[in-house]
Amino acid sequence: MMLRVRSIAPGLALGLLIIDLLGMLVLSVVTPSFLSTYNLFITSRDLSILLLVALAQMTVLALGQMNLSVGAIGGLVAIVESGLMVRYGVPVAIALVAGLMVGAVCGVINGLLVDWTKINSFVLTLGTSYVFAGINLGITHATPFYHIPGEISSFGQARVGAFPVMATVTIVLTLLLAGFLYQVTLGRQLLAVGGNQLAARLSGLPVRRSVVTAHAISGFLAAVAGTMLMAQLGQGQPTIGVSWILPSFAGPIIGGAALAGGSAPVLGTVLAMVLISLIDDGLVLVNADLFWVQFLIGALILGAVVLGRTRLCDLKALFYGARRASQREASR
Amino acid sequence: MESRALARFLAIAAVLVVAACGATPSGGGGKSPAAVAIVPGGPHPYFEPMRQAIVDAKADFSLSKGIFSVPTDWKQDLQNQLLTSLASQGYDGFGIFPTDGNAANGIVSQLAAKNVPVMAVGGCVQEPTKTTFCLATDTGASAYTGAKAAIAAMGNKGVLLHGTGLVTDPNTVKRIDAVKRAVAETNGAVTLITIGDIDIDAQTADTAINQALAAHKDITGIITTAYNPTVAAAKALRTLGDKRIKMVGIDDDPVVLQAVTDGFLIGTMGQNPYGQAYIAAYAINQIHMGCKKKSDAPYFIDSGTLLIGPDKIATYKDDFKTLTKSIVSGFKAKYLSC
Amino acid sequence: MLLRPVALLALLIVTSGFWIFFSIAATGFTSDFNLFALLRFAAIQITIGFAQMVVLGIGDMSLAVGAIGGVAGMFAGFVMQSLGMPPEVAVPLALTAGILLGFGNALLIIWTRLNSFIVTLATASLITGAMLIVTHAKPFSNLPDSFTSFADGEVASVPVSPLVLVMLAVGVALFFLYRNLSLGREMLAVGANRRAARMSGLSVDRVVLLTHGLSGALAAVAGLMAIAADHTASPGLGSNWLLASFVSPAIGGTLLSGGLVSVPGTILGGVLLATMSSGLLLMNIDNFWLTVVLGVVLLVAVGLDRLTRVVGGAAT
Repeated sequence: MMLRVRSIAPGLALGLLIIDLLGMLVLSVVTPSFLSTYNLFITSRDLSILLLVALAQMTVLALGQMNLSVGAIGGLVAIVESGLMVRYGVPVAIALVAGLMVGAVCGVINGLLVDWTKINSFVLTLGTSYVFAGINLGITHATPFYHIPGEISSFGQARVGAFPVMATVTIVLTLLLAGFLYQVTLGRQLLAVGGNQLAARLSGLPVRRSVVTAHAISGFLAAVAGTMLMAQLGQGQPTIGVSWILPSFAGPIIGGAALAGGSAPVLGTVLAMVLISLIDDGLVLVNADLFWVQFLIGALILGAVVLGRTRLCDLKALFYGARRASQREASR
Repeated sequence: MESRALARFLAIAAVLVVAACGATPSGGGGKSPAAVAIVPGGPHPYFEPMRQAIVDAKADFSLSKGIFSVPTDWKQDLQNQLLTSLASQGYDGFGIFPTDGNAANGIVSQLAAKNVPVMAVGGCVQEPTKTTFCLATDTGASAYTGAKAAIAAMGNKGVLLHGTGLVTDPNTVKRIDAVKRAVAETNGAVTLITIGDIDIDAQTADTAINQALAAHKDITGIITTAYNPTVAAAKALRTLGDKRIKMVGIDDDPVVLQAVTDGFLIGTMGQNPYGQAYIAAYAINQIHMGCKKKSDAPYFIDSGTLLIGPDKIATYKDDFKTLTKSIVSGFKAKYLSC
Repeated sequence: MLLRPVALLALLIVTSGFWIFFSIAATGFTSDFNLFALLRFAAIQITIGFAQMVVLGIGDMSLAVGAIGGVAGMFAGFVMQSLGMPPEVAVPLALTAGILLGFGNALLIIWTRLNSFIVTLATASLITGAMLIVTHAKPFSNLPDSFTSFADGEVASVPVSPLVLVMLAVGVALFFLYRNLSLGREMLAVGANRRAARMSGLSVDRVVLLTHGLSGALAAVAGLMAIAADHTASPGLGSNWLLASFVSPAIGGTLLSGGLVSVPGTILGGVLLATMSSGLLLMNIDNFWLTVVLGVVLLVAVGLDRLTRVVGGAAT
């Protein structure tokens, strides 16, 4: 129970929640088209894909490791699936299952190699990302697989009002992941291993199984994200995943994950990704000057995060007394 | 434990050595005619016609070697390494699409110092440069033509959305200015909305274009001057089933051509990648055989651009081939002294 | 803590192994033209790696290395081309700009108590964004010959760019810092255990400030090297330095969690990477499959390095 509460980091999540709500309020006042059905649909569909990418990274960060190959796995999976369907006429269901399995297997390979070789996960997954991305390029020569079956592309466009049907996949997977990490023994062991690998090993926790499981989940989530993006784009695009690396880290870390491991803030990651989506959407909606976009992204991220944390400090000060709170912040 | 680890790595190493030995290194270059390499800026479907162009050029001009070689990612460093490697293997001249139109000047200067001629193909290397010629579409003129066509289809009034590439690309700046110029000529009848920095990948472009369409319900025209925004907008119009919005795109991706055929786009600005590579191979060979660039010859040579409307879809490739042949036939007299 | 000699030896053996292999198997690998380009490329990559290595040493990260390097390069280009100043003026100005931007990162980290990852993620956008606003993405392509020829020149008619010497000089200075100066030891102490360092009376904030300033200076050096080699200050400069900045230190044994750096390791790591990509390109593997081979070779190289360490460690 202790573990559970700490992992969700309620104070941090509250700050982010307030910032998110504030952002939505501001956007809906400044540009009424923010609340238009189509904009909400497009933005939440994008969010539902990038959130899976962030959760894929968060699961490995919980171990104190990294997965630089999330994007490469997502791209490879989309290519495998679309290639099977387009070039070999494989039925949709079989192609999707095969693709998702490829993603999970890529993750298992990462996990096993990290565990066997003890190579730093950063360097190792950088190496495997070259391999996965290279297979993608070798198969496609950078040219997409066009004309994937209509049921997939219409799934990518399907919506009920502003709600993208694809988002149900994300919601289910997010809840399952949270349940696994906070309620299932293996999930809690995973967090314990991330907290202190040496202690975990000494106390007989299954370190290898935790490592492989975390990487497998990471690969699987990246695979689902790649599949969903393929559905959105309506074709097997070889560039799927190339820009995922930064959002994959930004989500969990703004959401409260530590690079050292031991924490898996699912709620914080969700709220952080909402924040990032709001910023991206807002800059398009207000038609920000081209040369100002970069600058504004930086200013908004920094401003929002600082504001979120400040509120947290205030709250803590109210509850624990200012001194203790500042000590805790200082010791990180 | 250690011996198991050893076995594991030896196995991987063995696989590697076998793989490496399978690839045969090629010998040094011959004297004449030239060995020519066409090197794109990174993996991209735009360049695929260049693969055939260098094969044809090798046959037509009896080049000693002709190769189409793609850097594995869009990074100037990788293109530099690839060019260095090809030059070390004896290639006599290069047609390159600069990964970074500004920073490519470093490697071009290095190659020029070795008397290896370099042509820019598809996109120019920023001047001043040691690049001999730039065989490309006049990006500004092409964007201007496309914008004019879109504005005319909009009935010279309304709101025009311009989706374009990365602001750090010198061509993007030219395109933005050109579209601005076309819009300015309507004396305020057309309002311009520009979104840039979205040609990162399909995902970024797809989301941003759709968000822009959601934000500005009054958009009546679209001009796109980069690959991903074009594909994204063509798909969005098809999904929305909206033929009231008049759009002109760029390049000839199958998705875009299909949208032109089906009436979702009024046209797309075709470029001539085949011709760019073919003409470059010709010019490199001539220079290698002893020709010099005429002192009054320009740096930029227009390789042609064409608004591909529904009527041109069947024939535009032949039109470009005809244009290419005519540029080649007059090239020596116009630009070279031999 | 500096890396143990046996680990360095292992990396040296693996790197030399690749040099021997490619000298035999890859035509043109040992040509002057190729070696010159390879070493110059490695020198720039390694300097980028240094800029990340110093912040990794204190347990921080800087996602703004590329942004600072790019801005410093553009600033130097502006000073030389638009103001017509000689490189002797532009270089110190660019270095100062780098240091100040590094200080800016540090101050934000200290004041907000936010994770360095988040702060530098934001400042990277801020710094590049400000540069785009000011320059409107216009490059500076008329750099003085005296500046660019420095990158293209040869040292005593050996095919080695003076930029390689710059990198080595920086490396020696950093080695001296970590080996002989109390500041260097303080940096590693902060990285190993920030809390313990604070408790033992160390001014952690001062160390954080100086380290990020140093990182900014090193990023600026890399930016200057890059614009000299490119003959142009391009607004895209630094945009893909992110992974590059981590790779050489990580291969060289620098811990991403802080407290352990290796200057010679970073140098060898950078040389190893440059060697692999250059050598593999010369072996004419199909371009589209080259990335796969590069990935496998990277894994094998790091694996062999680890293995040699294990064996070497057992032997001593």
